[in-house]
Amino acid sequence: MDIQLKRGLLDVCVLAAIKNEDSYGYQIIKDMKPYVEISESTLYPILRRLETAEFLTVRTAEHSGRLRKYYHITALGLKRIEDFKKEWNEIMSIYKFISREEDGNE
Amino acid sequence: MNRQEFLATLRKELSGLPQEDIERSIDFYSEMIDDRVEDGLTEEEAIAAVGSVDEIVNKILSEISLPKLLKEKVKPNHTLRVWEIILLVLGFPVWMPLLLAAVIIVLAVYIVIWSVIISLYAVDFAFVSCGVGGILGSLTYFTLGNVAAGILLIGVGLISLGISILLFLGFNQITREILLLSKRILLSIKSCFIRKVDAK
Repeated sequence: MDIQLKRGLLDVCVLAAIKNEDSYGYQIIKDMKPYVEISESTLYPILRRLETAEFLTVRTAEHSGRLRKYYHITALGLKRIEDFKKEWNEIMSIYKFISREEDGNE
Repeated sequence: MNRQEFLATLRKELSGLPQEDIERSIDFYSEMIDDRVEDGLTEEEAIAAVGSVDEIVNKILSEISLPKLLKEKVKPNHTLRVWEIILLVLGFPVWMPLLLAAVIIVLAVYIVIWSVIISLYAVDFAFVSCGVGGILGSLTYFTLGNVAAGILLIGVGLISLGISILLFLGFNQITREILLLSKRILLSIKSCFIRKVDAK
């Protein structure tokens, strides 16, 4: 898949993974796995980028004697997901148009 | 490689980045290893699953901006002493032109890259113009009654258009390769900043 496109998609995927409740790195990877495989080295820059853009906040909490970072989605992050869905509706209608063209040629 | 060795290697490879970035990466990857071990993997397996240090460093490098990297490199690791400040001020005529030259070289490289791309599409545009111009121009011959010249001109116009389409496809490919190459060059410039600190 086109790298730029995938990058944008993964950003929203990570936001969706923390949408309902705060989550941590490994949990995010596990939650996404059935849909899209993502490696740690890919996830890390995404989380940093989303934090810089203020789409999520980070808090550190103790977990069985060590520290773990939990990611919490902000209002801005929720808005990003909604914006994405709207954009996607547009893309889907373009996709339908493209597929229709193909069917017509057959 | 055990957990300690892995994190030590990562730290060494990242030296040259701002201290805060290093700590955050180390925290992130050690948490990842711990979580996988908690999930039932052995330490070795967990480290293998997290990925290679090279891959991690490359991903971090491609995200960080060159100016941020430069700033960190230039930042003195102690507060400047008086004589160092005096030396810096006196040395201004020497280091300023050098710095300026470096910036201009980087700028020039960018301009060259974009000039190549723009000139490619300019050539293509020229063919399109020939094609359109030829076909429209032939109309004047037809109105003048010179049918043979008109047909010739249409033919030439169509050939130009055909060439322009083929060239457009080729130029797109070339542009993509050039952009990929320039990205790779940027990455190697960044990584040489990291390695230099490492060698110190």
